Amino acid sequence: MQHREHIAGIIFWGATALSAGVTLAVLGFMVILSLPIIKNDMILEVLTGPWSPDHGLFGILPMIVGTLCIALLSLVVSFPVSLGCSIFIEIIRPDKPGRFLKKFVKLMTAVPTVIYGFVGVFLLVPQVRGFVSHGSGMCILSASLMLGLVISPTMILFFSQSFARVPKTYLNAVDALGGTQFQKLIYLLLPQAWPGILTGIILAFGRAMGDTLIALMISGNSVVLPTSPLDSARTLTAHIAMIIAADFDSIEFKTIFVCGGILYLMTSFGIFLARFSAGKQN
Amino acid sequence: MGKNVWDMLLGFFAWCCAILLVGSMILIIGFLILKGYKAISLELIFANTSPLEALLFKQQVFGGLFPAMVGTFFLILLSIGFALPLGLASGIFLAEYAPDSIKKIFSLCFDILAGVPSIVIGLFGFSITVLLHHSFNSQIFPCLLISALSLAFLVLPYIIKTTQVALESLPLLLRLTAPSLGATKLENIFLVLLPASISDITSGIVLAIGRCAEDTAVIMLTGVVAVAGIPKSIFSGFEALPFYIYYIASEYSDQFELMKGYGAAIILLLICAVLFGISHWVKEWLTAKTRFSY
Amino acid sequence: MKKITVTKWVILIAIFMITAVICSASELDSFTGEKGVLRISGGTAHIPVMKEAARRIMIFNPDIQITIAGGGSGAGIKQVGEGLVNIGNSGRQATESEVSRYGLVMYKWAIDGVAAVVNPGNPVKKLSGKQLQDIFAGTILNWKALGGEDRGINIYTRDESSGTRAVFWKKALNKGIISGKANFIVSNGAMKSAITNDPYAIGYVSVGYIDKTVCPVRVDNVAPDLDTVKNGEYKVARGLYSNTRGDASGLAKKFIDYLLSPAGQGIAAEKGFIPVD
Repeated sequence: MQHREHIAGIIFWGATALSAGVTLAVLGFMVILSLPIIKNDMILEVLTGPWSPDHGLFGILPMIVGTLCIALLSLVVSFPVSLGCSIFIEIIRPDKPGRFLKKFVKLMTAVPTVIYGFVGVFLLVPQVRGFVSHGSGMCILSASLMLGLVISPTMILFFSQSFARVPKTYLNAVDALGGTQFQKLIYLLLPQAWPGILTGIILAFGRAMGDTLIALMISGNSVVLPTSPLDSARTLTAHIAMIIAADFDSIEFKTIFVCGGILYLMTSFGIFLARFSAGKQN
Repeated sequence: MGKNVWDMLLGFFAWCCAILLVGSMILIIGFLILKGYKAISLELIFANTSPLEALLFKQQVFGGLFPAMVGTFFLILLSIGFALPLGLASGIFLAEYAPDSIKKIFSLCFDILAGVPSIVIGLFGFSITVLLHHSFNSQIFPCLLISALSLAFLVLPYIIKTTQVALESLPLLLRLTAPSLGATKLENIFLVLLPASISDITSGIVLAIGRCAEDTAVIMLTGVVAVAGIPKSIFSGFEALPFYIYYIASEYSDQFELMKGYGAAIILLLICAVLFGISHWVKEWLTAKTRFSY
Repeated sequence: MKKITVTKWVILIAIFMITAVICSASELDSFTGEKGVLRISGGTAHIPVMKEAARRIMIFNPDIQITIAGGGSGAGIKQVGEGLVNIGNSGRQATESEVSRYGLVMYKWAIDGVAAVVNPGNPVKKLSGKQLQDIFAGTILNWKALGGEDRGINIYTRDESSGTRAVFWKKALNKGIISGKANFIVSNGAMKSAITNDPYAIGYVSVGYIDKTVCPVRVDNVAPDLDTVKNGEYKVARGLYSNTRGDASGLAKKFIDYLLSPAGQGIAAEKGFIPVD
C-alpha cells in the first residue's frame, strides 16, 4: 500500500519534470541551433542588418521592427476599446447588455485566428486598399486592425477581473461620499487596478507578437524596414513560416532559430513582467 | 452638473466601445456567413463520393473537406491523448504534492510555455524531426504523430493549469474528510478530489480541444500538407481544416475553390463554437451536480 | 457500299477507343498491388498536375497514399536530398553542387514559361524589357508613367526558395534588383490570386497558371503563351522537373513513369504546360 503511494508520487513528479523539461528544451533547441551564427560572430550582423540573401545579407532587423510595429499598433488600436468594454462590463453595468458582452467576449476567445486572417484577406485588405489609395492594402495597418480584435478578449477579461477585485467597501465609500462613476474610475478603480491592467496589456502584447497567421496572410511580408503603417512588413513569426522551406544548411535557415529564440525570450520576459505586476495587486 | 457630463461621457464612451467590438465581430462573422452559406452542403464535405462509403473509409474523397476534417479529428485525438495524462499528473503534483518553492518554479515554467508563440513550438517539433531523421531513423518524417506531439506541448500548460486550479480551489472540508476516515492520499485524490473537480477539468480539456482544432502555425511546420487524403498511419502526412482555410485563402484557383474555403471557415467556426458551448455547459451543469452531492 | 464504309468506320473507331481505354488503364496497371505512402513536395507550379495524377492513381489503387506539399523548388530539392520526401519537384534545374551533393537525378516532364502578369483591369498590357526591370527594381513607381492610372505600382515577388523567381530573375530581369518593398508570396497559386485581387499589382507566374483572372504582359512585343514558349520566341522558359535521390525506384519511379506516359503528358497539357516529346 505504502509502496503504491510512493510510486504514484514519483510518477506525478516525473510527469511534472518532463513537462517543465519541454519548456527548457524548446529554448535549448533554439539556442543550440542558432549557435553556428553566434559562434561565427554573425549574431550582431543578423540582429542589426537588412535581409537580402541574394547579396549574402541575412539580417532580421526588418522582421524585429515589423513584429514590434504590428504588435504595438494593434495594442494602440485595441487598448482604448478594451478599456471601454471592461468599463462597460464592470462600472456602467447595464444589466442584460453587460452580461451579454461578457459572454460575447469569452466566446470571442474561441474564434480561430485563421478565420480572422481569411476575412482579413477578402474583406479588410480590399477596403484598406480602396480607402487609403496607396499600396496594396496588405500592410501593417490591416494586420494591426485584425490583431487588435484578436487580442481584445485577453485585455477585456483581465481588465474587468482586476476592476472586480477592488474591494466592495471602497466602492461603497465612494458612493457614500457622493462620488460619480467617473470619479470612481479615475480616483479609485484605475489606481487600484493598474497592476492588473498592466498585466493584461503585457499578455495581450505577447499574444500579438506571437501570432503567425494574421501577419502572414495580410501584412504583405516585404523585407525592408517599414516607414509608415501603410507599408508592407514581415513579422518574425511569418519569417519563420516562410523560410522553413529553405535549405537546412544555409545561413538563411539558421537565422530562423535566432528568430525563434528572440520570440521565446521576449514572450518569457513578458511573462516575468506580468507576474511581477500581477503580484503587485495582490 | 459638471460631474454628470463626465459621467455621461464615460457611459457614452463605454457604450461606443462595446458596440464597436460587437459590431466588428458581427461584421466578420456576418461576412463569412453571407458569402459562404451557399457552399454548405454534403457535397462540400464529400464531393461526389457517397457519404456512407466515405465515412466507412471505403472510398477516398477527392475535392471535399472530408480528409481535412478527418485529419483534424485524428490530430485532436492524438494530441489530447498525449497531453491529458501528462497534464493531469503534473497538475495533481503541483496541487497536492509540491512544496511551495518548487511549485513557484514549475508554475513559472508552465506560464512561459503557455506564452511561447505556437510557431516556435512548431519549429521545435520540426527540428526534433530533422534531428531524429538524421541521427536515429531515416524513416522519420514530419507527420501526424509529430504534429500531434507538438500540439500536445502547446496545450499542456492549459491542462496543467486547469487541473491545478480546480484541485486547489476545492473546500478544505472536502479535502480532509476522506483522509480522516482513513483513506490514503492517492485514494483521496482519485476517489474524492478529482471527481469533485471534474467539471472544471473537463471544461478546460474541451477548451484545449478547441485550441488543437484551430491552431495552424504548429502543424504548418510539422507535417500538414495540401493534399494527402485520409492519413494511412500516424507516420504519414495529413490534411487539416485550419490549414485548408489558410491554403485556400492564398491559393484558390477559381470561384468554386474559394467557396469551399468559405465553407471550411464556417465549419471550423461552428466546431469551435460548439466546443466552447460544451465547455461552458459542462462547467455549469456538472458544477450544479457535484455541488448537490457535497 | 457506302453502308459498309460507315460500318467499317464505326468498327475502326470502336477498336481505337477500346485500345485507348486499355492503354490508359495499362498506364495505371503498374500500380496494381502497390501500397504505401509517396511523399512529394517542392515546386508550386507542379501542384495541379501532381494533384490530378495522384487522384487518378489513388482512385485506381486506394492502398496508395500520395501526399503533396508546396514549399518551392529550393525546398523540394533540399527535402528530397535529405530523404524527407520521395520526390522533390523543382521549376529550375538543380545546380551542379546540389546534384553532386545528393546524387540527384532530374526527370523533366514538361516545359513551362514564366510570365509577368497584371490585373485584367489594368490598361498597361505591354512593356519593354527595360521597363519591366525598372518596375521590379523600384525605379518606376507609378502606373501613370506607363500610361495607366495614377496609382503606385504594387510589386509582388516570390521567396528565395522559388524556382519561378530564379528563372524570372535570371531571364526576364537579367539578374537585376528586386525592390525590397515588394510583397512576398509563397506559391504560384497565391501569386495568381494576389494579382487577381489587386488592381494595381504586377507579379510573375508560371504560364500554366494564366487564365482570364490575370493578364499576361507582352514583353518587347512577345506575348507569353504556350505557342511562343514552344517556338522559342518567348525566352523566359524553363523545364518542370521531378527529382529523386539516386535513380528513382519503387513507387516514385512508377509515379514519374506515369507522368512521362501519354496519360501523364495529357494531364500536363490539360493543366496548361507543354509536354516533353
